[in-house]
Formats: sequence, C-alpha cells, structure tokens
Amino acid sequence: MNFRRMYKTFTVGALLTVLSAFVQGSGSASSELKINMPYKKMGLTQEQAAAHLLNRFTFGTKPGQVKELVDMGLDKWVQQQLEGKLLDEEVAHRLPADSYEALAMNNESIVNTYLNAGQIIRIAAKNNLLDKDSVRNLDKPEYRTQLKKIMDEQGYKAPQELQRQIVNQKIIRAAYGENQLQEVLTDFWFNHFNVSLTKGQCQQFVLTYERDAIRPNVLGNFETLLEATAKHPAMLEYLDNASSVSMDNDMARNQEKSAMARAAKQRLQDIANDTSRPGAKILQQTLNAKRTQGLNENYAREIMELHTLGVDGGYTQQDVTTVARALTGWGIMPLYKDGPGTKLLEAAGPGFIKRKGFVVEGDFLFKADKHDESAKTILGRNFPANGGYEEGKQVLQMLAIHPSTAKFICTKLATRFVCDTPSAELVNKMSDAFLKSNGNIKIVLITMVNSREFWDNKSLREKVKSPFEFAISAIRATNADVQQPFQIYNWCTRMGQRFYYYQAPTGFPDRATYWINTGSLLNRMNFGLAFATEKIPGVKLNLAALNDNHEPESAEAALAIYSKILLPERNQDDNIRRLTAMVRDVNLEKKINEAADKNAPPPADQMNVQQNDMIAGSAPTARNRRQNQKALLSKKNLPVTTLYVAGNTNTVSQVAGIIIGSPEFQRK
Amino acid sequence: MVDRRAFMKSGALALFAAGMGGVPTFIARAADSRKILSPYKKNKVLVCIFQRGAMDGLMAVSPYTDPNLKTLRPTLYMSPAETEGKMIDLDGRFGLHPSLDAFTPFFREGRMAIVHGVGSPNTTRSHFDAQDYMESGTPFSKSTGSGWLNRAVGLLGHEGTPFRAVSLTSSLPRSLYGDNESLAINNLQEFAIQMRGNPFASNLASKSFEQLYDQTSSQILNKTGKESFDAMKMLNVNNIKNYQPANGVLYPNSALGNSLKQIATLIKMEVGMEVAFAESGGWDTHFNQGAANGALARNLKDFSDCIAAFWKDMDAHQDDVTVMTMTEFGRTAHQNGTGGTDHGRASCLFVLGNDVQGGKVYNNIKSLAKEDLEDGRDLPVSTDFRSVFSSVANGHLNINDNKKLFPTWEGQSLGLMKG
Repeated sequence: MNFRRMYKTFTVGALLTVLSAFVQGSGSASSELKINMPYKKMGLTQEQAAAHLLNRFTFGTKPGQVKELVDMGLDKWVQQQLEGKLLDEEVAHRLPADSYEALAMNNESIVNTYLNAGQIIRIAAKNNLLDKDSVRNLDKPEYRTQLKKIMDEQGYKAPQELQRQIVNQKIIRAAYGENQLQEVLTDFWFNHFNVSLTKGQCQQFVLTYERDAIRPNVLGNFETLLEATAKHPAMLEYLDNASSVSMDNDMARNQEKSAMARAAKQRLQDIANDTSRPGAKILQQTLNAKRTQGLNENYAREIMELHTLGVDGGYTQQDVTTVARALTGWGIMPLYKDGPGTKLLEAAGPGFIKRKGFVVEGDFLFKADKHDESAKTILGRNFPANGGYEEGKQVLQMLAIHPSTAKFICTKLATRFVCDTPSAELVNKMSDAFLKSNGNIKIVLITMVNSREFWDNKSLREKVKSPFEFAISAIRATNADVQQPFQIYNWCTRMGQRFYYYQAPTGFPDRATYWINTGSLLNRMNFGLAFATEKIPGVKLNLAALNDNHEPESAEAALAIYSKILLPERNQDDNIRRLTAMVRDVNLEKKINEAADKNAPPPADQMNVQQNDMIAGSAPTARNRRQNQKALLSKKNLPVTTLYVAGNTNTVSQVAGIIIGSPEFQRK
Repeated sequence: MVDRRAFMKSGALALFAAGMGGVPTFIARAADSRKILSPYKKNKVLVCIFQRGAMDGLMAVSPYTDPNLKTLRPTLYMSPAETEGKMIDLDGRFGLHPSLDAFTPFFREGRMAIVHGVGSPNTTRSHFDAQDYMESGTPFSKSTGSGWLNRAVGLLGHEGTPFRAVSLTSSLPRSLYGDNESLAINNLQEFAIQMRGNPFASNLASKSFEQLYDQTSSQILNKTGKESFDAMKMLNVNNIKNYQPANGVLYPNSALGNSLKQIATLIKMEVGMEVAFAESGGWDTHFNQGAANGALARNLKDFSDCIAAFWKDMDAHQDDVTVMTMTEFGRTAHQNGTGGTDHGRASCLFVLGNDVQGGKVYNNIKSLAKEDLEDGRDLPVSTDFRSVFSSVANGHLNINDNKKLFPTWEGQSLGLMKG
C-alpha cells in the first residue's frame, strides 16, 4: 500500500515534535508587555495567587505545585506557560506510537486508513457480508469477524479506533502535559471553533484539526488561528463550505462546453458502465445523484456570529450572503483513493489544477471554477471583481481585527478565565490590547492577569469546573496513573460533557448553570468515590504517598490532611468540622449498626461473587482488610468510626472520594 | 375514579411525602408557581421519539393506490391485496405496514394521527444537518444554540422540577440544548450515590455529601445539591428496579422499550416530568431493507410494539400523555440497486394521544409521478415539520408562542389536536 508507506515516512521523527508542542514564533511579541500581576494589592499572598493561577491556567493543581510556583516566581511561571515550549516527556511516554499511530498521521493517511461507517458498509456489501434480516446489517458476529479480517488484510481500521485515539490524547495531555496553559487554550479555542465527531463527513479530520489548526496557534495571533480553522477540512465539512459553490462563474458556465470536462465525465461513465469493476455501482449512484448545488451560507454566518463579530457585531444578512460568495470555491483536495473526487482528478489528467488556476495548500483546495468572481461589498468595504483566493483571505483578515471581534473574543476569554459574568471594564481593557496588538492572544492574556479584576475576591473559586476539568483535576490532585483514559471519558459523558461530540457550532456553553443539574451533580459525587476507591478500571492511585506514606490516625485526621493536599490554599475548617461531627453522630452510628445486622454476611459462595465484583483488580491484602472490616461491622456496639479504622486504606480513599465529590472541589 | 385516586395515594410522591415528612422542595416550588394547592396534580407530558437514520415513510405508511409506486419499487411494493404479509388499509389510499399492526387499534379509535409528506424546507440530505435543523427547529440556521424542545420547556409558563425535561440518552440531544434545565440519563438506577458492593460506605458518603452541599457558599451548588438529594430519595433505586408496568404489559427488550419503560416510571412517580425524549436507531436502510419481512419490518415492529406497550402501561395517565415521533427525512421514492432506499426528502410521523384528532392520514401528497417528485426522485415535503410540532405543543402543552418556539417560521400550525 503506497499510501501507508507515505504516512510511515511522515511519522519518522515527527512524533516528538507532534507531542511536544506546535508553538510558532518566539516570545518577542509578549515581551512588549510586561507581566505585572497586582495580586498583592488585591490582598492575596503569593501562595493564594499561585493557587488561583493554577486553578485558571491549568487543568488542576498537582500536589506541591503551589510551592513550586512560589519558589520559581509567579511571573516566570506565567511567562513559561505563555511560551508553551516545555518538553512533554510524560505525554510522549503515555501516547506510544504503536497504539497511537493516528496522532502522527496526515489527513490523507487517516482518510485511507480509518474508514467511515458508509465505506465499511460498502466493503461489507462488496463481500456479501450484510445480514438481510437485521436492522444493523452487521449484527451477525461471524460477519463482523470476516469483515474485520478483510479490513485487516487491506490495512483498514474502524472509525472508533480513530476516536479512541483523539479522546485519549486529550485526556493524557490535559492530565500529564507540562504546557498546561496551551492545553487549556486548546480546549477553549476548539470549543470556540467547534467541530463535531457527530458529523460523519468531518469526523476523520477532527484529530488533525485540533493538532494542526488549533494547538499550534492558541497562543499566537487570532487571525492565523481563524485562517487555519477556515481552511481545515474539518471545518470545511462541518459547516459545509466545502460544498458551497458559485453558479455564477465563467469557467463553471463554460465547463459543460469544455471538451476536457466532457471527456473526463465520459471516462467516469465508462468506469461506471463496467459493472465488473469494484465500486462501479457506487460511482454510478454518484453520477446519478442530482446534487442541489449552489451557495451554502452556513460557514459564512457562523464565522461572523460565532467565530468573530458575535451576534450583535453589526453585520446584516446581506453581509452573510456576500461573505459566503467570497468563500465559494474554498474546499478540500480529494483524499480518499476510492472516492469520486480522486477519480475525477485522475480523469482530468496531470496539470489540471495548475491550468485552472486552483490553489493547493496542504489539503486545502481553492477551486477557481467554483468561485464567485463578481465584485462584493462586505461590512461597507468594497472588494473588486476577480479577487480570487486572496479575496477570501482579506475577508478573514478584516473580520479577525474588527472591534466587534475584539470585544466578543475578549468577553469569551474573560468568561473562561475570570468569571461567568466579566465586568465591562475588564473586557474593554482586554479588547484594547487585542486591537492594539492586531489580535495577539498572549498580550490579551497578559493584560488579563495584570488586571485587578482577575485577582478580585469575587472571582476567586467562582468558576465551576466543567466535567472534563473536574475529572482531570482529580487525576492531577492525586498524581493518579491513568492507564485506560477512555474510562475517564465515559465518566465525563455521564457527568454531561461528551467532548468532541457537541453537535452545535456554538460549542459547550461556558457557565456553571449549564454544567450543574441534579443528574450531573450526583454523577460528580459518584465519580469522586469511584475514582478515589479505584473502582474506575485502569486508574491507579497511591494516596498514602501523597502524605509521605504516613497513615492518618483517625477519620478526622484523614479529613484534615487530605483536604489540605487536594484543595491547597482553601479554608476547609467548616467542612471538616461538619463531617467530623457527622462521623461521630451517635444516631448515625446506631443506624448503621442496625443496617449491618440486617445485612448479615451472605453465604460463603455468594459472598465471593460480591467480593470479586467489589475489588476487581485490587490486591489480596485489600480483600482481607475489607473482609475484616465487614466482620467488624456485623458486630454490635462498635462505633461507626470503625469504618475509618487507622491503617485501613479504605479510610483514606473514602475520605478522598468525599473531598473530590464535595462542592469545594467542583470550584476552581 | 376510585381506582385512580387509590393509585395516586399509593404513588411514589405520596409515599415519599409520608416517609420523608414533606414534599420535596422542587415539587413544592413548581406547584407554587402554578398556584396549585395540591402538588399532586399531574402534568401534561409530551413524549418525543426521534427515529435516527431517516425512516422510509413510503414503506411505513404506503400510498399503495398510486400506480407509480410499483414501478418505482418493484421488489419493495406492498398492498392490502396481497395474500401474504399484506398492508393494512387505512383509508382506501394509504396502507399501514403489517409490522405496524400494533398501531391499528389506535388509528381506528381515533387516538392516532399520521402525518405524511413531512419534512424540512431545507433540502439537505445529510443525516447530521437534517437532524440538527429538525432539532434546533431553525432549518436555515446552524447557530441556534437551543433546541425546540428546550424552548418549549421555557414557554410552559410555570416553574418546573429537575425532572421537567428528561432525555433517556447518554448525552443531551440537540432538541434539549438550551437554558432550561434538562436531564440526560440512560439508566434511572444511576440516580443514586453508589459505591459498588459497599452499601454502608455509600450511605455514609451520601450523608457526607448532603452535609457538604448544604453548607457550600456557591449558590448553584447549594441549590442543585439539595434538589439532587431530594430527587435521589424520591427515585429510590428500589422503586425503579421493582417497577411493575400496569395491565401486565411486557415491554420489548430493546433500547426503545427500555427508554419508554423508564419514561413510564417517571410519569407514574409524578416527579414533574413534562417533556420526555427517546431515540430509536437503525432506519438508514440503504441495503436489503426487505418488504413484509426483513430489516425494516423488524425495526417497525419493535417501534410500534414499544409504543403500544407504553400506551397500555400509561393506563390511568393516558389523558395526560401524548407521543410524537419524528425522523430527519424520508427516502428515495425508487429503490436502489441493493434492495434499499437512499436519502430522500419527506417521510411520515405518528402522533398518539387522547387529545389527538386521529384516525386520519394528514397529507398534501400529490402523486409519485416523476413530475410531482422533488428533483424527479423524492417525495417532496408538503408539510413543514414545524406545523406539526407546533400543533402538538400548542394543543397538548398549551404553548401558544410559536414565534418563540420556532423563530423565523411564519407558517400555520396543522391543527391535529382537539379543542
């Protein structure tokens, strides 16, 4: 397979580059504005300020990290994060090339390896592996086995395999990456320029979209970021610009008359007529399909409403239509080797692209014959006729540095990093910086941390973590070892954030009221318990190590110690007092002992089943401890604190679970 | 009436109130906002079922008298005249697929309406885009942040409980995106504080959390925390596990059957649910869809059996519940080369409820002659989906602001509800 060889050569040596960081340019732009954070003026100690910075610029504080920041100097740490160039060895180690090969593949290799559902069904149909009696045609296990064999032989993989890799890499980078701000911003900007795995046409491109269009640009220039998203196949498919064409183009009009185009069409028809050829039927269907071709305004509307100006940014429906016209012809190089596009290009013969005046940049293809060449007026600015590819780029530039864009983007940034309802003063300061620097994201962020508002008491701990932030912060706070990242993803889904699957181009709303409802909140508590007691498969914790392997002497001691470790620089006295009172509650004790009596130990074999279920994957010593504990509980007149007997790892993990599920841990 | 009162007295809410010494805060508040003295008053409930993948409306409810149909679909065509697996004649023009037989009594009794030729004015044949538009309710705007059902919830005009809008899916469907609180839950039994295999620790952890959320200074965590614990006690996992459908109903053991059973559980628990959402998959029948038997027939059977089971289970609640189905588009009028049908335009949908003017196939379908088809290949959309959705929302949920429900839409509601 020559395409496989192609990506193999691409991967050589590329992995580390890909994994470490795609940071462009140097820190020169940000050196124009000095970091000067007024936290002391706002009454915070260095430690408190460090904790706040870690809350907002990372996915969670690791044990001892507050002190590290203070020792290093807060300014220097912020500078380092703004540069995003720290070596990411642990991430590289946790994403080995043999199980994460897609991370280094280009779009063409991905498209020709990880087939979409439709392409798989076609392979199955070709090999008579469809179950006539089943709704989901591949229901028969033997068909699935055979299909898998055929796919393996041909070097194809299922789309789920690609999705596993993209989902897992996000979790690994967020949990173990050194360039935390870069990852936080990758999350932010991906959500801002949302694309979705729910859309079949774009799902194969989502991985490279984040890797190539978003991450390298998150600390750079907004215009660069905007253009990178605009030209990426994921966005071109997700908001349909790839299929937006002008019917008002000289070349297009002449095309039918053009002998070459006719010849190309005839060659395709010949292929389709030869029904013995694989794919002939599909090709015929493609040729038959009467596609409703024309202008598609989806991307043009969203680039203004959601990506740049904002809904009240001062544009009209006329502007939407005209931007759409300016972006006609912005499309994608044919990538799937069995696809009609590739066949069409082959049929057209060599030199076709150049002759036609097309522009190719990587996988981006500007189709000159589908572009609207007439003169245009957008937001009051005139664009003369025949502007071609450059016209669209100018439109993007105009939108990127528009005052409405500055305001809209800075409001979103302040909402993410400061509070759900940022003040107008803060937004104005940041938008001024945005406009003066032509959209330099670093300068905007420095302006933000230099503001008093960022450090205001009102914004401390006022953001509620998203489910993803919550789960990752638990991993970081406990130095947990996550061997099966997808398990964390399943929990995020249960807690209300199935990331990469948000369907609408708006992205997830960034406010507490969206994330917190009865179902999601109970699942957050359950996550805390399951996580800390190691009931999530592939997640290992060593809570004792966090306390230098000292075992707390009582439940109260465990509460006090682990509250400090997991929630540094927060006043937990009230919480500890309340919980302590509760574990000493005489009535509760009685109730639990009564319950223990009612739930007398079941017969031996039944008990084994239960136990195995309970401690899947944990060491035999833990089993013994639990059995002892159970035996203790079945006896009357023992205080409830036997649940928390000293030396029992259960004590610590349950306490940690309660702290992680507590309201304080939901805040950042 | 006696039976009904007796049932209500033994309802979960009554038990909860008796056992816990009061009505949960959220139910009391919701009742208060409606100036209702009794919090036990039942809500109207709209149950929406999305058939993802685009159901072949021409096969589900077939205009079998149209002579073009047999030409277009030589091996898929069915009619009431056939001896084996024949269509069920509805009105001399349309026939119901034999696998939808469970719907026949509803249609004959006048509680089920069928609307045919339904779809979106946007001609996209992409599943993703068409579902997106149908669920947002704005067929030409992608950036509508909210879903139509979420807006419907906002237009109910009174406060609700955390269970006001529930989707039996693992993540929130596009229809329920938006500002009004909605719950996505796959399995109601997850609605509890759980530590696997360790009930004692679960109990203690639960009490600890309750304390902590009770005292947090974060308003939203405090309020939602309280509601979560109220809701958890009310939806006691044992009540859910031991749920017994009325009239000895057995739900099909399928994804949809499971969802509808849980919806029924919530309705009978009177937790304040007003909008419920469920999904059904496998409708994208490009290959070998079959006729009287086969893939589509099986799916139709599961679909109608689930809904029929749900309806029987609703029993005394039938007056309060309306079920509406929907699918993103229909399929090509002609069959393709692999015994299936490809993406088309209009399909049909079903509305079931005692307040429905049923027993009728609402439609503006002309013929299946080539000149009457869209692009010469598809059943054209002759009824905008919003005219159906709005009609049901108006008639059943008493929502009257169609401008807010479907912004930018200026059409008329269909009027398929009584009164």
